[in-house]
Amino acid sequence: MADKVTLRRILRLFAISARMDMVYLLRDTKFALLGILGDLVNNLATVSGVFLIAARFGGIGEMNADEVLFMMAYSTLSVGVFTLFGSGNNIFISRIIGRGQLDHMFTQPLPLGVQLVTGGFAPFTGGGNLLVGTVLTVISVSRLRLAVTPLWLAALIAYQAATLAVTVARSYIVSSLAFYAPAEAEEISSVAINDTWVVGTFPLSGMPKALQIPLLTILPEGLMAWFPALCLLGRPPLGLTGLYPVLFALLLSLTAKRIFKRGLRNYVQKGSSRYLPYGFRR
Amino acid sequence: MRKYIKTAHLAAREKTNGGVVWLLPEILIKAATLVPLLFLWRAVLTSGAGSAGMSVSQILSYTTVSALLSEPLTVQTKASGWLSEGVILKLYGRPLPVLGQLAAQTVGGWLPNLALFSLPTAAIAVSFGVNLIPASPLFPLSLLLCVSLGFAVDLLFSCLALKLRSIDWLISRLRQAVAAVLSGTVIPIRLLPFGVAEAVKLQPFASLGGAPLSVFIGSADTGEILVLQILWNLILWPAALLIWRKSREGMVSYGG
Repeated sequence: MADKVTLRRILRLFAISARMDMVYLLRDTKFALLGILGDLVNNLATVSGVFLIAARFGGIGEMNADEVLFMMAYSTLSVGVFTLFGSGNNIFISRIIGRGQLDHMFTQPLPLGVQLVTGGFAPFTGGGNLLVGTVLTVISVSRLRLAVTPLWLAALIAYQAATLAVTVARSYIVSSLAFYAPAEAEEISSVAINDTWVVGTFPLSGMPKALQIPLLTILPEGLMAWFPALCLLGRPPLGLTGLYPVLFALLLSLTAKRIFKRGLRNYVQKGSSRYLPYGFRR
Repeated sequence: MRKYIKTAHLAAREKTNGGVVWLLPEILIKAATLVPLLFLWRAVLTSGAGSAGMSVSQILSYTTVSALLSEPLTVQTKASGWLSEGVILKLYGRPLPVLGQLAAQTVGGWLPNLALFSLPTAAIAVSFGVNLIPASPLFPLSLLLCVSLGFAVDLLFSCLALKLRSIDWLISRLRQAVAAVLSGTVIPIRLLPFGVAEAVKLQPFASLGGAPLSVFIGSADTGEILVLQILWNLILWPAALLIWRKSREGMVSYGG
């Protein structure tokens, strides 16, 4: 019998995840700090590449160097939000499916969705990029002399939520393949998330529309930083509405829900073929 | 030699065991990264802001060859992952040197991507006017030195993994960071601003991917690049072998 899910219960589950994260940090501080540092260095190296090009050439396409810095700040913030809520393979869901670990979650007295939403919360070890992203945002906003109003901050939060939703939805769509081919698709979510991260840092300004449009629809890397950053700078590209990222995220999330549920039904009926009866992974 | 070729063949087969279709996501993302990157460079270099010291044609060749040879240019064996998964222990049970097997496995693992991504992409790139003929006949030598140095650097990272209790993902993240900025495979080192180019061009990572790419497009002094590559090979290989010999005693493997 599943527990009754209330807002209070969800907040308590977030608190449990946060406490476990803190225990990990305190138990193995040196390695936890190394992990945080590794995440930071990796992300900064990725975003600094594009920024260095912009700094060297005074901008990219129609964006000047400070605007590119703001875009990189947005990207770092989104990595921070992702790590904050996705530190337990709950977004790299193909790993959980592929390893047959959904079975473990079925035994818990909580709906699967609630476990997935709350299980990856890591405010202590996962907050590094969020902190650096905030600092970079403050620097770039002050260099650009942007007027930061409550409405602008609300828009920033909404765009970050949309970026996270697109990342999660896309991961869940491709990860649904792991319901049918657990061994082959175990790491497909990391291909969909990690391997596309670099493209998500590219400013698409100055590129032909024939390339911009696929990167805002089929492979929506333009929504990872470029499009929302330009919206926050007050000039949504391609004549589209500033609501486009939010609408796209909503549509993609509904599609992901449908595809994932279909795969889950198959998993519930057929189970995982990944483990041999005596425990080894195939 | 036949045993190493067979090992490489097995590694190539391993990647396609589940069917070639499972390589498609990786191939599509490689293509989806290369095309915008080419347009990004074109947008930057045709905007007229600042002098690159490199022509558009050169930078397009540089970026394309970097994508086509991405794996050989930034050698990454499975050693650090295999330490934690226990696979490395199998290599010790076979009648071949461990490092030789690791090299053969790695080179074999490159083959499916070279066949399925690099060859078709090269053909398409040439049809779009990207020049894929090396500016210097010494490019193959520079590439060979780059691969050799890449294995030495990988071995050093594996030793670091042993020291860090085989935290593979941490090592992987550090390596990606190094590849992104210091090796010149994404941005040619000479294009780095704020005097960074001068500061980093002599460090060992600059003799990896960026070195043969510069030789390929003829944007740097080939003799100087080759001397640096040979020098770093001579320094890092003995160091890597010595540290590996000392580190492997601390190897702890598990898996299942």
